[in-house]
Amino acid sequence: MGSPRSGDRGRDPGLNMDVEAAAVLARARQGDSEAFRALVERHSRSVFRLAYRMTGNEQDAEDVVQESLLRAYRQLGRFEARANFGTWLYRIVANCSVDLMRAKQARHDQARGESLDAVAETPAAQTPGPERLARSAEIDARVREALGALSPLERAAFTLRHYEGRSIDEIGQTLGLGTSAAKHSVFRAVKKLRVALQPLRGD
Amino acid sequence: MKHYSDDDLILYYYGEGRKRVDVERHLDACASCAAAYREIAGTLAIVTEPELPERGDQYGLEVWQRIRHKLPEQDVPWWKFLSTVSRGERLVLLASAAALVLAAFIAGRYLPRQESATESAAGRQAVATPSGATNGDHSVQRQRILLSSVADHLDRSERVLTDIMNTSDSRDISIQQRWADDLLTTSRLYRQDAQDVGEQSVASVLDDLERSLLEIVHSPSKISAADLEQIRRRIDAAALLFKVRVLSEELRQRENAPAASAAPRTSTRKTS
Repeated sequence: MGSPRSGDRGRDPGLNMDVEAAAVLARARQGDSEAFRALVERHSRSVFRLAYRMTGNEQDAEDVVQESLLRAYRQLGRFEARANFGTWLYRIVANCSVDLMRAKQARHDQARGESLDAVAETPAAQTPGPERLARSAEIDARVREALGALSPLERAAFTLRHYEGRSIDEIGQTLGLGTSAAKHSVFRAVKKLRVALQPLRGD
Repeated sequence: MKHYSDDDLILYYYGEGRKRVDVERHLDACASCAAAYREIAGTLAIVTEPELPERGDQYGLEVWQRIRHKLPEQDVPWWKFLSTVSRGERLVLLASAAALVLAAFIAGRYLPRQESATESAAGRQAVATPSGATNGDHSVQRQRILLSSVADHLDRSERVLTDIMNTSDSRDISIQQRWADDLLTTSRLYRQDAQDVGEQSVASVLDDLERSLLEIVHSPSKISAADLEQIRRRIDAAALLFKVRVLSEELRQRENAPAASAAPRTSTRKTS
């Protein structure tokens, strides 16, 4: 899209869209539920994508979508009009995912009783052989299991770095952590994954 | 020859870190670091993007249908709330707030403080229903024990947070980290308890507190001035010290109040 000529400025579709989006947002901030509906319809798919990457589970992702949007609606009054709504919502989704994973972990902590450390300590003889591991479904399952054994914060930081391509600084801002804490969450996640996925590498 | 740590190599893999050119040169020359890097890269290459379940064009509408009847009240920030009231009403509000602060100060200064050394483990033990106690008694008893223990926990946490806010220039926070680490597990248990008994606002503050404690624990002991400043800014931004003090005070009042006042609060209002 070229730069708009001064005479056509009012008719530039990109500009109109921005103005329209700002107007919808302003109405939603004043409690207009129809305006919020437009925001929900526009952002739901990207919210689901992030929630699924963070939780790795379809049902959990749906719960996060719902909770994030309700939380966003409740907090809209605090949203600064100058900020980017997508970025603001992104933070809410990431933090909702962490909350959900924490709650889930707390419920299953004792029941599961098998941490990643325990998985890592599994004797080599009991791990599946290379032929079996070569099957991609098995690899996926093993990766999923390893990701599931990370702490909620480690998983969130790793997902944002590995799948979402966010920098360490951005991860810190998104999760409300300092740069150093964000960095160490990623490091711990990668170290645990190295141990857990070592049999897959075959080295 | 200076070798690079796994952490440096992880940052290098993700295209971060300030010494990228140096690392690259080193990897060409050093077999052991190159092997470590290959192992890290090999692991991360296995962790591929999970297949995302499809969501159609109508998904947004479906989500809206699910949440439309559940929309909560919007929070009104205090500055907006103040702008909606008249000047006279604002003065009345300010005067009331000042009177409350004064009353709280006087109460804290002159009223005898109840000894409440009940700890979580002891509390949990005491929660075991004594023979002959009714469910109602049990619930109120549990509530009181929780209030007392959480108030103590908040006081201890407040000391750690205050220490972090006022730590000296040496910036060694290893002592505060040990305290924070000790408090973390307890905090999580109390948060679960609070959720179980419907104390949503208590759970919410404990959740905020847990994040700050986590951040303190996971920072390096010899913290940089910038990182320390970031932690402080976040504690400030979340008004965490204020929330912790107010909640602790509130819990102590409820702890000493008649049974009906100590009953679980079902409100989902958050202090945040």
